[in-house]
Amino acid sequence: MDSTQISRFSLFITVFSCILAFSFGDNSSSTDAHWLLRIKSKLVDPAGVLESWSLRAHICSWNGLTCSHDEAFVIALNLSASTLSGSIPTELWNLVSLQTLDLSLNLITGSIPPEIGRLRNLRTLILFANNLSGKIPTEIGLLKKLQVLRIGDNMLAAQIPPSIGNLTELRVLGLAYCQLNGSIPAEIGNLKNLVFLDLQHNSLSGFIPAEIHNCEELQNFAASNNMLDGEIPASIGKLKSLQILNLANNSLSGSIPPEISGLSNLQYLNLLGNRLNGEIPWELNHLVQLQKLDLSSNNLSGTINLLNIHLQNLQVVVFSNNALTGSIPSNFCLKNSNLQQLFLAQNKLSGGFPLGLLNCSSLQQLDLSNNNLEGELPPTIDKLEKLTDLLLNNNSFNGSLPPEIGNMSNLENLYLFDNMITGSIPVEIGKLQSLSTIYLYDNQMSGSIPMELTNCASLTAIDFFGNHFSGSIPETIGKLKDLVLLQLRQNDLSGPIPPSLGYCKKLQQLALADNKLSGSLPATFRFLSQLSTITLYNNSFEGPLPDSLYSLRNLKIINFSHNKFSGTILPLTGSNSLTALDLTNNSFSGSIPSRLAISTNLGRLRLANNLLNGSIPSELGRLKELIFLDLSFNNLTGEVPSQLSTCQKLQHLLLNDNHFTGKMPSWLGSLHDLGELHLSSNNFQGQVPAELGNCSRLLKLSLHSNNLSGQIPHEIGQLTSLNVLNLQRNNLSGSIPPTIQQCKKLYELRLSENLLSGPIPSEIGKLTELQVILDLSRNLLSGEIPSSLGDLLKLERLNLSFNRLGGELPSSLGQLTSLVMLNLSNNHLRGQLSSTFSGFPPTSFSGNDKLCGPPLTSCMDSAGHENNLLSSTAVVWIIVAIVFTSTVICLLMIYIMLRMWCNMREVLISNSSEGGGNGIEQIKREDQERWMYGDEKKRKGEYWRVMSSMALVPSQNHDDHISSSCIFQVKMDTKKLGI
Amino acid sequence: MAPLSVISLSLCFLLPLLSPAISTNSEGNALHALRRRLSDPTNVLQSWDPTLVNPCTWFHVTCDSNNHVIRLDLGNSNISGTLGPELAQLQHLQELYKNDISGEIPKELGNLKNLVGLDLYGNRFEGEIPKSFSGLKSLRFLRLNNNNLTGSIPRELTALSNLKVFDVSNNDLCGTIPVDGPFGMFSMPSYANNMRLNGPELKGLVPYNFGC
Repeated sequence: MDSTQISRFSLFITVFSCILAFSFGDNSSSTDAHWLLRIKSKLVDPAGVLESWSLRAHICSWNGLTCSHDEAFVIALNLSASTLSGSIPTELWNLVSLQTLDLSLNLITGSIPPEIGRLRNLRTLILFANNLSGKIPTEIGLLKKLQVLRIGDNMLAAQIPPSIGNLTELRVLGLAYCQLNGSIPAEIGNLKNLVFLDLQHNSLSGFIPAEIHNCEELQNFAASNNMLDGEIPASIGKLKSLQILNLANNSLSGSIPPEISGLSNLQYLNLLGNRLNGEIPWELNHLVQLQKLDLSSNNLSGTINLLNIHLQNLQVVVFSNNALTGSIPSNFCLKNSNLQQLFLAQNKLSGGFPLGLLNCSSLQQLDLSNNNLEGELPPTIDKLEKLTDLLLNNNSFNGSLPPEIGNMSNLENLYLFDNMITGSIPVEIGKLQSLSTIYLYDNQMSGSIPMELTNCASLTAIDFFGNHFSGSIPETIGKLKDLVLLQLRQNDLSGPIPPSLGYCKKLQQLALADNKLSGSLPATFRFLSQLSTITLYNNSFEGPLPDSLYSLRNLKIINFSHNKFSGTILPLTGSNSLTALDLTNNSFSGSIPSRLAISTNLGRLRLANNLLNGSIPSELGRLKELIFLDLSFNNLTGEVPSQLSTCQKLQHLLLNDNHFTGKMPSWLGSLHDLGELHLSSNNFQGQVPAELGNCSRLLKLSLHSNNLSGQIPHEIGQLTSLNVLNLQRNNLSGSIPPTIQQCKKLYELRLSENLLSGPIPSEIGKLTELQVILDLSRNLLSGEIPSSLGDLLKLERLNLSFNRLGGELPSSLGQLTSLVMLNLSNNHLRGQLSSTFSGFPPTSFSGNDKLCGPPLTSCMDSAGHENNLLSSTAVVWIIVAIVFTSTVICLLMIYIMLRMWCNMREVLISNSSEGGGNGIEQIKREDQERWMYGDEKKRKGEYWRVMSSMALVPSQNHDDHISSSCIFQVKMDTKKLGI
Repeated sequence: MAPLSVISLSLCFLLPLLSPAISTNSEGNALHALRRRLSDPTNVLQSWDPTLVNPCTWFHVTCDSNNHVIRLDLGNSNISGTLGPELAQLQHLQELYKNDISGEIPKELGNLKNLVGLDLYGNRFEGEIPKSFSGLKSLRFLRLNNNNLTGSIPRELTALSNLKVFDVSNNDLCGTIPVDGPFGMFSMPSYANNMRLNGPELKGLVPYNFGC
C-alpha cells in the first residue's frame, strides 16, 4: 500500500468518524436514508422509480433497496433498467454496508470514481450498459470481497488495472463492449475462483497471458473481437472446466495447439477470423463434449480429419474460408449424428459430392460453395431429408439435377449457381412446398421451365440467369403469390409474357432481358405495385405500353432497350422514384414527357434511337442528379433548353443525330463533369463556344456534321484529358490553333471537310498518343507537311488529302511504322517517296505535283507505262512530266552534239598532220599512250567517273568519238538539269 | 531499310476468343475485377459502375456495336496496382501505359485472339514476356518498352505473322534475338538498353538463351 492509499485510507477513517458522530443516537439505516435522499436528488429519474424514496415510508420498503435481516443496514441497491441518468452521486460511497450495487442498463454518465474502493463489503458490482467513461479505477482492487464485477458495455477506456488480480474471490468478470486497450494483465491468473471471463469487443492487444491456466475454475472465456496476437498459449489446455472458448476475430497466429484437446469439457470453440495456419490438429477429436466448432476465416490447410464418429455431440461445424484440401472423409458422419450445420465454403476441397455426408441425417444446413468439387449430384441426396439449405454454388458440378431432389421436403434454399449443371429442371421440383429460394444461374441447363415449379407455393426468389432454358414462361406463374424476384435473363425463352405474372403482386424485381420473348406487355402488370426494377432489354417485345403502367408508383429502374415497343412513353412516368430509364432502340414516338422531371433522383435517361419528336422539355433542368442524358438518333427539334445547364452532374450528354437548331450553347462550358459531349449531325450554327474549354474532364467531343463556322477556339487546348476530337464536316475556317498540342491524350483527331487554312501547325507532332486517326483532309491547308508529324509513332491512319500542301515529303514520315492507312493525295507535294511508303497503294499519293518512287513510278523512269493504273489527274501530271522530260533530253542532245561538233573540229585541226583517218581507235590508242606515259593522269580519273555517271542518263549516246574533256562537260550539265 | 528504322516497333493485335460467354456482362465483371486491383488516386475509374448492363458507358472503355469492349485507355492516369487474369475476358485491349502498374504480365492475355494492339510500355512490369503471347494471332502492335522485364524474348513470338511494331527496349531482357518471321523486320532500337541481350540468334552456334 503506497502513501497515497494510506492517506486516502486515513481520510476515509476521518470521514467515517464524522459520519458516526453526526448520526450518533440514530440507527445506521436512517443515516443511509439521509444519503439515499441526497442520491435521489442528484439522479435524473424520468420514470419516477425513486418516488417511493421518502421519509414517510420505512427505508426498507423503498424501491430497489434491500435491508439486512435486522433492518439495520441497506445491503443491496438495485436500480437496473430504470432510465436513470446523471453521474454516480458521491453520496453513494457512504453506503458502506452495501453488498450489492446494480445500476446496470441506465444512462449514467461520468467516470467510476476511485471512491468506489470504499464499498469494501461489496460482493456484487453491476454497472454494465451505461454511458460510463474514463478508466477503471485501480481502487477497484480494494473490493476484496467482490465476487461479481460486470461493468461492460460502457465507454470505459485505458488499460485493465492489474489490481484486478487482487479480487481473489471474483467468480464473474465482465468487461466486454468497452474501449479497453493494452494487454490482458497477467495478474488475471490470480483469480483462482473465476468462472466467467468476458473481454469481448474491446481493443485489447498483445498475447493471451499464459497465466490464464491458473484460473482452474474457468468455464467461459470470451475475448473475441480484440486485437490479440501471438499464438494461442498451449497452457490453455489445462483449463479442465472450460466449456466455452471464444477467441474469434483477433490476430492470433501460429497453429492450433494440440494441447487444446485437454479441454475435456469444451462445448463451444470459436477461433474464426484469426491468422491461424497449419492443419486442424487431429487431437480435436478428443473434445467429445464439443457441440459447436468454428475455425472459419483462417489460413488452415491440409485435409479435414475431424470425425463426427468421435465428436458425437457436434451440432455445428464451420470451416469456411480456409485453404483446406482433399475431400471429406467417407466416415465423417454416424447414422445417429446430431450434426445440423456444416459450413465448408471457400476452401479448396476437391473430388465429387462427399457421399460420406449422406449419413449426416440430421443435417439442416450444408454449405459446400466456392470449392473445387465436381461430378454429378448423387440421386441419394434425398437421404438428407431434414436439409433446409443446400449451398453448392461456385463449384464444377456437372450432370443434371436428380429428380430425387423433390423428396427433400424441408428444402428452403437451393443454391446451385456457377456450376456446369446440364439437363432440365425435374418436374419433381414441384413437390418442394417449403422452397423459398432457387438459384440456378450460370449453369448450362436447358429444356423448358416446368409448370410444376409454380406449385412451389413458398417461392420468393427465382434466378435462372445465364442458362439455355427455352420455351415459354409457365402460364401459371401467377400462382407464386410470394414471389419477390424473378430473374430469367439470358436464356432462350420465347413467346409472350403470361398475363398471370401480374398476379405475383409482391414482385419487386423482374428481369427478362436477353431472351427471345415477344408480344406486348399484359395489362395485368398494373397489379405489380411493388415492382421497382423491370428489365426487358434485348427481346422482341412490341406494341404500345398499357396505359395502366402509369399506376406503378415504385418503379426505380426501367430498361426496355432493344425491343420494338411503340407509342408514347408516358405510361412509364407514373413513378417519382425513377433512377434509371433506358428505352434505347425502340420505336417510341411522340414527345419527351415533361413529367419525367418529377423523378428528381433520375440519374440515367436514355431514349436514343427512337422516333421521338418535339423539343427537349425545359423541365428536365430539375433533374439535378442526372448523369447520363442520351437523346441521340431521334427527330428532336428546336434549341437545346438552357435549363439543362442546371444539371450540373451531367457526365454524358448525347444529342447527336437529331434536328436541333440554333447556336451551340455556351452554357455547356459550365458542365464541369462532362466527359462525353456528342452534338454531331444536327443543324447547330455559329461558332464553337470558347467556353467548352472549361469542360476540362472532357474525353470525347464530337461536333461534326453541323453548320459551325468561325475559327476553332484556341481554348480547345484546355481540354487536356481529351481522347477524341471530331469537328469534321462543318464550315470552320482560319488556322488550326497551335494550342491543340496541349491535348496530349488525343488518340483520334478529325478536322476534315472544313475550310481550315494556313499551315499544319508543327505542334501537332507533340500529340504523340495519336493512334486511331489524324484526319485533316478536305481543307485549304497549305505550306509544307511539318516534319514533326514523324513523331507520331503510334499513328495508324493519316489523311491529309485534298489540301494545298506543298514542298517535299519530310523524310521523318518514314518513321511512321504503325501506319496502316495513309492518304496524301491531291496536294502539291513533290520529291522522292521513302521506301517505307512502298507498301501503300499509289492512290495514297496520287494527284500531287511531283512525287515519285515506289509505289509511284521510279524517279528515274518515265511513268508512262503505269498510266492505266492512275487517276486522270495523275495521267495529266505524267504527260506533263513526259513532255517536259523529252524536251529536256532533246535540248541536251542538241547541246551534246554541238559540243561534240566543236570538239571534233578542234581535234581535227590539232591532229591534221597525222591525217584525219578514222578517229576512234586512233584517239583511244593515243590516249592510252598518253596515260601510259604519265601524262594527263588526272584526266583519266575524271573520264571514268564521268562515264559511269553518263551510263545512267537514259538516252545517252555512247559516242566513242568524243574526247574526255568534252564528256566531262556534258556530265556537269546533266547534273544541273536534275535528270 | 536501315535508315528507316524507327524507334518503335510495333505491334500486336490479337483477339481473344472467349469461352461461351456465360454472363453478358463478363467484360464488365472483368473490368470491375481489374478496378479492384488498381489504385486510382485521381478517380479516373469513378464511372465504372458494375451494376450497369455492360461497361460500354464507362469512361476510358470503348465498345463496338455489339457492346464488346474493344479498347481500354488507362494511359497517364497515375493508376497503380497489378493486372489479373480476368483481362483475358476482353477482346481488344490496347493502351495501358505510362502508369505505375507492377507485377507480372498475366499469361492469360495470350488468349486475346482478336487483340490488335497491346501497349504496356512505361509501367513497372516484371518477370518474363509470357510465351502465351504467341497466341495473339491478330497482334500487330506490341510495345513492352520501359518496364523491368527479364528473361529472353520468347522464340514463340516468331509465329506472330501480323506483327508490325515490336518494342522491348529499356528492359532487362537477355539471350539472343529471334530472326524468323516478323523479327526479320525489326531494327535495333526495338531492343535498345537491354544490357544482357546478345544480338541476333545464331542458330546452332550459340544457345538461344545465351547470357541468361
